[in-house]
Amino acid sequence: MKSAAIIGVGQTGYRRSHPDKSSRELIWQAARLALEDAGVGIDGIDVILAGVAPDGLSGENSVERTGMLGRRKPFLRVNTGGVTGSSTVFAALSYINSGRAKAVLVVGLERMGQATSSQQVFNTIFDPIYEKDFPLTTITMAALRASMLMRLYGYTERHWAEIASRSFRNALRNPLAHLRKDISPEDVLASQLLAWPIHRFEACPMSEGACAMVIVAPEHVGDRRPAWVQGAASITDSYAMGDRIHRPGATLVDLLSLRLAAGKAYGQAGITRPRDELRVAELYSAFSSAEAMAYPALGFCAPEDGPAFVEAQFTDSRLPVFNPSGGPQGANPVSATAMVRIAECALQVRGLAGERQVADVERAVATGQGGATQFSTVCVLGRRPVH
Amino acid sequence: MAEGGDIFIEGVAMEISWADARRSLPELIFSSTTRAIDDAGRGWEGIESVVLAAHDLVDGRSLSSMVTAPAAGAYLRDEVRYGDDGAGAFAAAVNRLEAGECERTIVSAWGRASEHDVEGVSRALFDPVFFRPLGIEELHVSAMNAQRWLIDGGDVASVAEANQRREMMRRANPRALKEGGRQSVPSYPLEASHLPRWADVTVTMVLSRRPASVRLRGIGLSSEPYWPGDRRLARADALRMAAQRALSEAQMTVDQIDLFEVDGLTIFDEGIALEAIGLAEKGGGLRRLADDPRCNPSGGGASGYCAPAMGLIRLAEATLQLQGRAGGNQQGTPRVAFASGSSIIAGQTQTAVIVEAV
Repeated sequence: MKSAAIIGVGQTGYRRSHPDKSSRELIWQAARLALEDAGVGIDGIDVILAGVAPDGLSGENSVERTGMLGRRKPFLRVNTGGVTGSSTVFAALSYINSGRAKAVLVVGLERMGQATSSQQVFNTIFDPIYEKDFPLTTITMAALRASMLMRLYGYTERHWAEIASRSFRNALRNPLAHLRKDISPEDVLASQLLAWPIHRFEACPMSEGACAMVIVAPEHVGDRRPAWVQGAASITDSYAMGDRIHRPGATLVDLLSLRLAAGKAYGQAGITRPRDELRVAELYSAFSSAEAMAYPALGFCAPEDGPAFVEAQFTDSRLPVFNPSGGPQGANPVSATAMVRIAECALQVRGLAGERQVADVERAVATGQGGATQFSTVCVLGRRPVH
Repeated sequence: MAEGGDIFIEGVAMEISWADARRSLPELIFSSTTRAIDDAGRGWEGIESVVLAAHDLVDGRSLSSMVTAPAAGAYLRDEVRYGDDGAGAFAAAVNRLEAGECERTIVSAWGRASEHDVEGVSRALFDPVFFRPLGIEELHVSAMNAQRWLIDGGDVASVAEANQRREMMRRANPRALKEGGRQSVPSYPLEASHLPRWADVTVTMVLSRRPASVRLRGIGLSSEPYWPGDRRLARADALRMAAQRALSEAQMTVDQIDLFEVDGLTIFDEGIALEAIGLAEKGGGLRRLADDPRCNPSGGGASGYCAPAMGLIRLAEATLQLQGRAGGNQQGTPRVAFASGSSIIAGQTQTAVIVEAV
């Protein structure tokens, strides 16, 4: 793939709800900040792409239509569940790399604070005959995987708590984060048990907010400081989780789709040793156990070495920094969250991450996970374009 | 024109039915997808991309593509879903090919009107504070468009004739809904025969960078404001702009097009669309629809309608015409065809596509 560049990032900040703002105001606020960061006006944008995931979460249908920007510009909406934000970015890359657009504005919006119960909404993503009555939700779905990881590889509840606590500490330095609390591993383990082995503080919060970015062709970077998209890939797995439990070569916790997407994105970026070549990893892991599940798929460690890899993160400064923004534990606006991961990597690569800036970020990777962990995206950003 | 070279349509398949209790939605999608692959004649070789147009509100699930994407061939492939019209998804699929992301791609769209509350979904699209208390639906916006068209001096006498021809073409179209379906209650000045016939619709195309019998000439997209009051009724300005962009890319004028398949929720919307793209004078769109055999030979919305599949259906019908495979409604040997697709809310975004026989 050719390199496109992210030259503008705008975010509203993430909260349980934004009762003082309409959906269009959130969209416009994020878009305005992104355009200002990019140094372009709306007239300099060729195409606008909006990412909104389940309408049921917001209580408004096709809410993206209300905040449409740019007079008579091409506009499309992307909806791929939890990867909606990254899918929207990737759709923009297609526009840039095809030569059909020089500059694309992408916006991810989440209004789930309007939903009475997000888990009731999420329950309806599952098969109405075989799965919905369990009652299967995104929490119980994650719990099934967490317990499988514990049985197969020796993870303990302490590992999940350590990961969550690390993310909360990182979020303390992120003014955009929804939850900014210093929560220790002991606090995590003492929090309410949602579905064994998952405690409340291992789960992401329900967050509202909007994220926007300006993505341009190389010749339109101008004097802005870019984050170059070096690799981007998306893979879809099968729907039924039961089909994946005993699948030869890739079980339910092997994240085959993420592994394949990573292989493709790394190949585009020329990455062969991700553990050494990536300085930052922003992972869409709505539960801390889901982050551990991603390590082997992304090539950071072998599956059986996962527990040791978690422990090494606290002692080995050479390892990538995981979720410096606080990740989804800090804020999880579902429609936008995979875009937020890319936005954070862009800020880190551009050296604009403020108090949470990681030193010497030459390259960073952002992931997205959606559906029944069946939609996976991987995006590699770097200081330089790939050739 | 984009940088990626020519893009071709290799395979087409569609199914329009009503409440077929023997088949689930994934089975209907799987059927049209496998038939499109068979139509392309090259199996699954080189297909790494699947681009979908589907809407949760229509499919009745919070994340519809979880279960439906694999049925469209997305297993272990790069899949994306647009909550937009099928013609918009077609444009996005073209981007992927032109960007060099894949050699071939599936683009598929569907909607199953027999399993969702069409009017209820439509009402929920509108602003909850100012519009929803009115009970307004997209068909009411179409009625306002029709009213505006009549006030502006639209050819009243042509409405019945256009309707008559549309019904004739529906009967001639072997793919059209022949039994079942449902119609909404019309609002003045619309009559029942002006409305779409709600149906269960799946449609799939296989696009490729390798030469095939139909080639893309131009694409244009555009949008209008959210509030109907901010738009110019009966003008379809988004389609006007989209068509201009497509014609510009194709380096053609509308007079050089041999066949038109335009998407419109009612027959008035179809006529207004023909005016917007420049084929008819203001107020003359339905006369064109009544008299010109090049316009909507498929029967348009009367042949079966369900968002968000209709733009891709229009393009599929145009493709079959260019290939001489349309059947009873084949219109000679057209060389160049125009198709359009409109999305929620009431045609707020529009896509225009020009294709030619190779």
